[in-house]
Amino acid sequence: MSLIAIIDDDPDIIDATSLVLMANGFEVITANNPGDGLKIIQEQKPALVILDVMMQEPDDGFFLAQKLRREGVTTPILMYTSVSKALGFQFGKSDMVPVDDFVEKPVSADVLIAKVNKLLNKS
Amino acid sequence: MEDSDHPARILLVDDEDYLRNGVKRILQIEGFEVETAENGAEGIKKGTEFDFDVALLDLKMPDISGIEVLRMIRQARPNTICFMATAYASYETAVEATKLGAEGYILKPFTPDELIHNIEKGLQKRRLILEAERLKADREARLLELAFERSRLNTIINLLADGVLVINQFGEMVYYNPAALRYLDLDVILLAEEILEILPPEVKEIAQRMISKEKFEVMGESVQFKLSSNPDMFVEVTCSPIPDHDRKKIAGIVIVAKNITQFKEIEQLKSQFVSMVSHELKAPVAATIGFLDILLNPKMKLTDHQRSDFLNRSTARLRSLLTMVNDLLDISRIELNTVKREIVKIDLASLVQETVEMMQFEAAKKNITIKFSAGEIPFTIEADRLEIERVITNLMSNAVKYNKTDGEVLVSLKKKGAYIILEIKDTGIGLKPEEKNRLFSEFFRAKNEFTKSIHGTGLGLSIVKKTIDYYSGKIESESEYGKGTTFRVFLPEKILNK
Repeated sequence: MSLIAIIDDDPDIIDATSLVLMANGFEVITANNPGDGLKIIQEQKPALVILDVMMQEPDDGFFLAQKLRREGVTTPILMYTSVSKALGFQFGKSDMVPVDDFVEKPVSADVLIAKVNKLLNKS
Repeated sequence: MEDSDHPARILLVDDEDYLRNGVKRILQIEGFEVETAENGAEGIKKGTEFDFDVALLDLKMPDISGIEVLRMIRQARPNTICFMATAYASYETAVEATKLGAEGYILKPFTPDELIHNIEKGLQKRRLILEAERLKADREARLLELAFERSRLNTIINLLADGVLVINQFGEMVYYNPAALRYLDLDVILLAEEILEILPPEVKEIAQRMISKEKFEVMGESVQFKLSSNPDMFVEVTCSPIPDHDRKKIAGIVIVAKNITQFKEIEQLKSQFVSMVSHELKAPVAATIGFLDILLNPKMKLTDHQRSDFLNRSTARLRSLLTMVNDLLDISRIELNTVKREIVKIDLASLVQETVEMMQFEAAKKNITIKFSAGEIPFTIEADRLEIERVITNLMSNAVKYNKTDGEVLVSLKKKGAYIILEIKDTGIGLKPEEKNRLFSEFFRAKNEFTKSIHGTGLGLSIVKKTIDYYSGKIESESEYGKGTTFRVFLPEKILNK
């Protein structure tokens, strides 16, 4: 079964997401900051990374995504965002934001699982 | 002087009594006001003292000749119309009298009709002269006013903070003020210089398009851009066409340039703040929905413990959301200055003592000791009690929350000049140097391995700072990462200018 890494600074989001993923048969590892996130990805090589934007961290989610790509990690990344719609700007896949898909919080279990499956089948 | 509601005034100078009295009667019957003089000296005196409409002067008088009287009167009263009356007119005296400005000769003896006819003619001339003089004076006054008006307008435009530049339909500079140079990135411009080419491209484009229009219409077009010579400066330039005299064609363009740098900065701060607020408000909502979705999903197999855990955590997130919304409203009230304050004398020592006691329960959980020391002198300030209580509670609760197990909080009050200093020193986790600058900004929360489990909105210190600012006080902090933080609050004893 596929291993999925969740990196988010909100422990409640980590727990809720983990539970949904586990109920759908995935294995889950978690980290609550970008530094630990990088470590678990490098050590346990998950099949997918769910990465929060983590606006308040000095090295935010974008920074970690860029770092992963620079180091040659090609694992698909699903990015959790929370304010893109509210502010009217759209993220797009680019060198600045080298992620594979976005999902706006809050997200329903069905949408999350659909996106996760799509990304896993692609790779 | 003659005016509409006063009869014409006539001076009669003649040494012959019968003639003087006869003429006087004739003129009075005609409705004139008549003054008489029986010799040259009296004639000069009366004729120079008062501005008569018409003077009738006898040429031959025993003391002073009529010519001399004429000269004196004309000199003093150039608008008095003078007639010479004589029985023996010679060519020479006629020439001299005319040179001196006499209106004409009336030959003695004359009939009443001749006399009245001449006087009426004289009065008519006098009216014309006076009217011409009035018009001349009017015009001079108006020219002066116009010149003054123009220079005042120039001064006003030159002192305008906004730049003003006027160009004609050929694209030549007609008028500008100093601010126009600054905000349109121009060094020097000359009168009638072709200006379009040296304008910033954003402005040139609009101006060119506007000038080339056939018909005049009331419109204005604005553009905002950064100056290429100074990218920190944001300007807004508005171009409006100037109509020609019959408002059909475009005679030129007036360009107004405004410095909007500050406005842009505020706009950016605002959108950053909106972005932060929406992020912060959305996080607890997203977490709560996440939990509720799981709780409501029949496919999820949950233990009873998980159920109650998720419900408790959802409630906690919603409570913190409520606190955050209330804090935001408080910040907005402080900033809009709509806080209702009741300014009273507050004994700080007892207020701090009460807060220390209130904190003991929370402190005991981590075995933290709170020590409070203050001298015997009274520490009173004038302020709203609830507001100050909130400042103290906020700082003290931070000192406990961000402390280590078995830590200490040292609270003291001191007096320095007209200020009371409240010092709160903890042995907690401290701040990294880069975190210190952001300490009082909204939503800042120190994030590290120590603070993971500490809840807060990140608005407390922002409210503390804004409150202290309102009372013209000051807050300082000293901190060493891993060792602890000290906050020092300076509050004036007497409330200032509120």
